[in-house]
Amino acid sequence: MISNVPIISFVTFLPLAGAILLIFIRSESVKTVRAVALAAALLTFATSLALFFGFNGASGLPEFVERASWLGRGLDYHVGIDGISLFLVLLAAFLTPLALLSSWRAIDDRVKEFSFFMLLLETGMIGVFVSLNLFLFYVFWEAMLIPMYFLIGIWGGHRRIYATMKFVLFTMFGSLLMLVGIFVLYAAYHKATGIYSLALADLAAISLSPAFQTWLFLAFGLAFAIKIPLFPLHTWLPDAHVEAPTAGSVLLAAILLKMGAYGFVRLGIPLFPQAAATFAPALSILATIGIIYGGLMALVQKDMKSLVAYSSVSHMGLIMLAVFSLNFVATEGALYQMLNHGLSTGALFLCVGILYERTHTRLIKDYGGAAARMPVFAGLFLVTMLSSAGLPGLNGFVGEILCFFGIFAANKVLTALAVSTVILSAAYLLWLYKRVMHGPLKDPEDKRLRDLDGRELIILVPIIVLIVFMGLFPGTILRKMDASIARYIESFRNKPPVAMTLNVPGRPAQEATTVAELER
Amino acid sequence: MTFMALAPLLAVVAGALIVLLIEAFLKQKDHELPATVAVVSLFAAAFFTVRSWRLELGYFGGRLALDPLALLLMAVFVLIAAFVVLMSLKYASRQDINLGQLCGLLLLAVAGLMIMVSSTDWLVVFLGLEVLSVASYALTGLKRNDRASAEAAAKYFLMGSFAGAFFVFGLALIFGTSGNLDFAASLSQVASPYGLPVASAVGLGLILTAFFFKIAIVPFHMWAPDVYEGAPTPVTAFLTIAPKAAGLVVLFRVLVPVLGHSPSAVIIGPAVSVAAVLTMFVGNLAALRQKSVKRLLAYSAIAHSGYLLVAVVAGDGPSLVFYLIAYMFMNAGAFGVLVAMSGKGVEHTSFDDFAGLGRRKPWLAASLSVFLLSLAGFPPTAGFLAKFYVFSAAVREGHVLLAVAAVLASLVSVAYYLKIIVVMYMQDAETDVVVEQENPALYLVIFLCLFGTVQLGLWPGNLLLLIRQAFFVPF
Repeated sequence: MISNVPIISFVTFLPLAGAILLIFIRSESVKTVRAVALAAALLTFATSLALFFGFNGASGLPEFVERASWLGRGLDYHVGIDGISLFLVLLAAFLTPLALLSSWRAIDDRVKEFSFFMLLLETGMIGVFVSLNLFLFYVFWEAMLIPMYFLIGIWGGHRRIYATMKFVLFTMFGSLLMLVGIFVLYAAYHKATGIYSLALADLAAISLSPAFQTWLFLAFGLAFAIKIPLFPLHTWLPDAHVEAPTAGSVLLAAILLKMGAYGFVRLGIPLFPQAAATFAPALSILATIGIIYGGLMALVQKDMKSLVAYSSVSHMGLIMLAVFSLNFVATEGALYQMLNHGLSTGALFLCVGILYERTHTRLIKDYGGAAARMPVFAGLFLVTMLSSAGLPGLNGFVGEILCFFGIFAANKVLTALAVSTVILSAAYLLWLYKRVMHGPLKDPEDKRLRDLDGRELIILVPIIVLIVFMGLFPGTILRKMDASIARYIESFRNKPPVAMTLNVPGRPAQEATTVAELER
Repeated sequence: MTFMALAPLLAVVAGALIVLLIEAFLKQKDHELPATVAVVSLFAAAFFTVRSWRLELGYFGGRLALDPLALLLMAVFVLIAAFVVLMSLKYASRQDINLGQLCGLLLLAVAGLMIMVSSTDWLVVFLGLEVLSVASYALTGLKRNDRASAEAAAKYFLMGSFAGAFFVFGLALIFGTSGNLDFAASLSQVASPYGLPVASAVGLGLILTAFFFKIAIVPFHMWAPDVYEGAPTPVTAFLTIAPKAAGLVVLFRVLVPVLGHSPSAVIIGPAVSVAAVLTMFVGNLAALRQKSVKRLLAYSAIAHSGYLLVAVVAGDGPSLVFYLIAYMFMNAGAFGVLVAMSGKGVEHTSFDDFAGLGRRKPWLAASLSVFLLSLAGFPPTAGFLAKFYVFSAAVREGHVLLAVAAVLASLVSVAYYLKIIVVMYMQDAETDVVVEQENPALYLVIFLCLFGTVQLGLWPGNLLLLIRQAFFVPF
């Protein structure tokens, strides 16, 4: 293992370096801009592979840890990855170059700005996953909004301004309350121990009083639930997805949505285990409603993109249901399903983007019989859909089956309801496929439906390969996750009932300082 | 007790006098000589300010004391004044403003500000306040051919005089009951169950009102939007930053002992908190409805007074000063871009003028975006860190609800700051506003503000160190 090289910092900030480099390139030289952006993203991916191969995963503790004092008083630069975050980092590093490549034809206005924001977004996304300090986490979490705001707002569809403002304000609302939660934790930890710290490990080691946990869990949970998005907070998602450019949709669906689920696994549940256990039934019900609601909504969509967007609501519901089942199998399934959803939904958006580039319409009724003109595309599109629908042999099956096993152990009724996702997703996806790809050609004269060119093959084939690989050899990935998830489950299972309380800081004059002792 | 304590002040006053003298003899109204002199005197003041660091100089029997807090603020004033002078170079001739008068008055205002922050004596503070006020009334009305400017000056003068009268009357009550002119000593006797003698309490209330007027705290903010909109843009940048900073530091010096130990905190604490919440919400909600960027920034300046007041309520000096400095960079930068947008005799401040700026002037638009994102409090800019420190101090001191109100108010502010960005990047231009190309001094200011905004968001290390030293807080 390479121990001295700060690989994580490289992976996180290489895209940023690329973005800064872009500033100095003339915006007229579109080719150079695209090449530099792609090179930066590819280099990031190559570097992130070093994380994959160097990652040991036996201990379940964060590896490749880097820690440096930044602002003082516990606001440190502290990064590392464990089995939970490793693959999300890889996913972000893997999809960004593909998303950049996919927009080579779709984006021809202000290419430099577009590439700049895409790279910025990549730094933000990776930063969220590698942060081990709550402050740093929040910085990346918020900073990421800015590039996404511009991506939707400048290169989006007709209602882009409405969609992007809604996206930002919804997300900000949740995260600002989370910020207050962070302040409270920061103050409480200082009051209890006399040390300033926002390191996740430190915060997880103290026990908080139940009332305190409840409030904080609500503050953090709201931010994550909006991001996931959990029913009924999902309304921003269809708007944002439909209006965003293809590359934006891909990253939004594949990575940004995962941050909510990741937030629960990394922060919401380990920091406030009792509150999480209290709220788990309610949240599970919401997740189940999301599964069914998203699936039914997807069935009736007329626009392909919003169909995929609602399918995301449904799939993320399943992931959340698994997360709130709070057991090993379900959590592992949820994490695996997060990767699957990232790949398959990302690919679905790319496919829709490919169709849109040819015909400039996303309405399902404008298509028909496209398979005749685009046989290669039809094959790849089908594999993607089947992966999303959970066909055995492809990655979606592994994730779903793990999720269902885990959920079954926790709640049998909800499992029965949640299984409907298998039927629903098969229904809306295959029906979509039938309407778009099969049947008679809508307009036989229409020569615009060309089959894939080389660039598009390069975009889709790697995803398809991974989809098949992850379906056949899930162990490669699951074994790297095992120890971290076991540790995560253990961390809140074995947390003893609260013996001491750490309360919301009151007015300093009246309140006697409460004491919390460190466990461990 | 050395005479050197007066050096920064004298440098500025001497500069002001020389500038006004030169101005009288200059034939050409837009000659740049007064500006050069002003910058030189500001440099001298900066030099003496930096030199006095940690020397604990004082004069007039300690009535004027250069403690670290005062020095930090003086540095801020010098910097913002220099920014304003540089911004005004081309702007003054385009808007038919007498540059010499602007520079002279500006230096006098800085002198008043310096006096205000370097004393804990009511009378001396009043002296500083009046010097500042008179200079700022005149500064506001410098656009002689513009009716909005004249109206703003008149309004500012009337309101300001009222506030001054409130101050004096309150001061008389406090001095009458305590026989003391020092902040702490005059407010330290305990007479009633609420701590202060009734007359002192009323006096303190009147003085607070006067300061709330000066820093535009709701419900005493009515004058602010008109004045900020009517004043010449560089002057607006100055007025939204410097008097606010001085007023808040005086408030901090007065209120923190009162809020911390005295029983009267039971009344004053909630009162100030309510004022802070009102200010944040009224400022932000009103800004949502504005059609002119300048007026929008005026309302945003009111909202920021509210955030700053949160720091006073929390009694956290370091976060207050950090916020002030961050605010100086981002706000001065935003107004700098507005200055860059001004043409001959007109100021292009409506939303339509900004439409499509991202395409026409990518650098200007990008800079303004950074300033606005920082004002909205997005990481990794200075504005985020400033808010982080202020609000986290509030939570630490037990004002959780105040912090919740503050973040919700910031959410409202996000909506209108982003609206400007929407206009610049996501709408196409209908009118083609001509933006002056050659203006190196202004671009230098914008660049420095940009640098400050980003630097303080990412590596504020040294500044934090200085600020914490000033308050004797361990790093």
